Amino acid sequence: MDDGTVGVLSPHRQADRVLAVMRVAVFVVSLSVQFGLCWIPLFYYRHEYRPAWLAPAAFAVFALVTLVSGWWVLRRRRPPGVFVASSIAVLFCASTVATAAVPAGGFFGAPHWSFGLVGWQLLMLLLDRPMIVIVSALGGHILLSVLQFGLAGLPGRIELGAAAITLISVSSFQLAIAVMCRTHYRRALLAGAMAAERERLATEKAVAEQLNDEQRVRFAGQLGSMLPLLVGVADRTLDTRTDDVRRRCAVAAAQLRRLFAENDDVPDPLVHELSACIDVAERRGLGVSLAVSGDARPVPKIVRRELTQPVMTALALARSTARVTVLRTEDAIRVAVVADAARQDVALAPSALIEVECFTLEQRVWVEARWCPRQMTAGPS
Amino acid sequence: MVSAADDGRTELTAVVVDDHPAIRAGVEYWLSTASPPITVVAAGEDVKVAWTEPGDSADVVVLDLHLSGPTPAMGDLRRLANAGRHIVIYSMRGDNDIALQCLELGALSYLTKAEGEGHLVEAVSTAAHGRPYTPPTLAGALVGDRSQFRPALSARESEVLVEWFQSESKEFVARRLGISTSTVNSHLERIRVKYARIGREAPTKASLVARAIQDGIIGVDEL
Repeated sequence: MDDGTVGVLSPHRQADRVLAVMRVAVFVVSLSVQFGLCWIPLFYYRHEYRPAWLAPAAFAVFALVTLVSGWWVLRRRRPPGVFVASSIAVLFCASTVATAAVPAGGFFGAPHWSFGLVGWQLLMLLLDRPMIVIVSALGGHILLSVLQFGLAGLPGRIELGAAAITLISVSSFQLAIAVMCRTHYRRALLAGAMAAERERLATEKAVAEQLNDEQRVRFAGQLGSMLPLLVGVADRTLDTRTDDVRRRCAVAAAQLRRLFAENDDVPDPLVHELSACIDVAERRGLGVSLAVSGDARPVPKIVRRELTQPVMTALALARSTARVTVLRTEDAIRVAVVADAARQDVALAPSALIEVECFTLEQRVWVEARWCPRQMTAGPS
Repeated sequence: MVSAADDGRTELTAVVVDDHPAIRAGVEYWLSTASPPITVVAAGEDVKVAWTEPGDSADVVVLDLHLSGPTPAMGDLRRLANAGRHIVIYSMRGDNDIALQCLELGALSYLTKAEGEGHLVEAVSTAAHGRPYTPPTLAGALVGDRSQFRPALSARESEVLVEWFQSESKEFVARRLGISTSTVNSHLERIRVKYARIGREAPTKASLVARAIQDGIIGVDEL
């Protein structure tokens, strides 16, 4: 009902709006025909109708139907089915009455003003119905009128010819309008469907762009920590021969690889991301073994990020070999690294989501990141 | 089946069943250069080498689970275990379920081929004496075991398994937990005794439990 939301209208509602406008046009035609044309013969032949009051009474009924229809039509609403059905019955009765009052020889001529008017009114009421209904109603009315015409006495050839001309010209004009409206309605329906499809594609595109932007921002956010490193390496304020810079570069490379692996659709994302980190370490010439125990379980992306971070740090410290293990038991997911580290000072960022533990023994460093899903659901400790 | 230790023999023998000649040659070389050396008396791609002369008298059967077929050779394992043979499974696969199934059938050890020379030599030499060996991958499988009839492990036992799985170093586990290396070993053995008591019966499993009681690793009242 809200006309302001064109973009989200269904194709049917779009087409219904077109139909409503066409109905208003037919309403205006009915009104013009009745009050612009019909009253003239009614007034002119007022003494010839038998009984004389019958024709004006029928005119009043027609006017009533038109005006009451206007209540819905002008508000671009579809007239209710009950009203339409009862109006058609009333129109047929009024038409029969008005036709019955037509003086002999006046059938389908000027005194028979009601014939054309009823056609327009039927069209106005049935414009949104299937073509077969419109044709049946118009045909029914023609049949009724012709029947009355025949019952009134055998007409002469000239009379018959004149009647046929009026009948065919009026009816075919009304039928043509009906066909035009229905065609227009179907076109509107089609156009609406196409517009909806276009709208859907536009929305899809917007969503995809939004996702892409988010990804870019996220990548940029993660790149943020790497930029000073890259700048330092580029302008040679950082010496890549030093262990510290090389370690930072190793962590940055692993972070990037892990970030790219994060959005891959794989059955075991945690192991997939760890493999990405290990891959980077192996490119440095490190011998890394990975052992996994327990089946894959869903781990939130943010937790995976936290779990892999200590692994990257520990792998960056390793000199020649490292062992990465993933242990998935009922209570916890434990990711550990044991590496032959050149340094003992492992700087690990604290995390609110996971527990990180570190232990060094001679030249070996052990780092474990542990996530307990049950504790998480009970609330972070 | 009489083990080498019971027999008083000093020379340990093994038979290697693996469909890859390079693996057979590698295992033979590793075992022969071990200290003390282990002699591979027979090797072949079919399990029949373990049933026929001279393989039938070898102290240990080193068995590859995937012998030129997609299905693991569980039937061969069961028949060897029923005959009281000391079996070390040497497999490409690291699945927890298969490892646990092999233990249930009576294998003394389960190693993945990713685990190197040290673990294989130790597994074979302990198996020659009818004892179990729990390499790190198997420790991971045991601690990740969620089956219905798994034995109850103490918190310390679980922690030993986890640390051993992660570090592959008993010294490291010992230092981390503040215990001695022999205590780490006895924890691992106790765990294996607990596992030997579940599932179907096998002569190796029964003798493993009996030996553990004899050695005082586990008390009769604990069983």
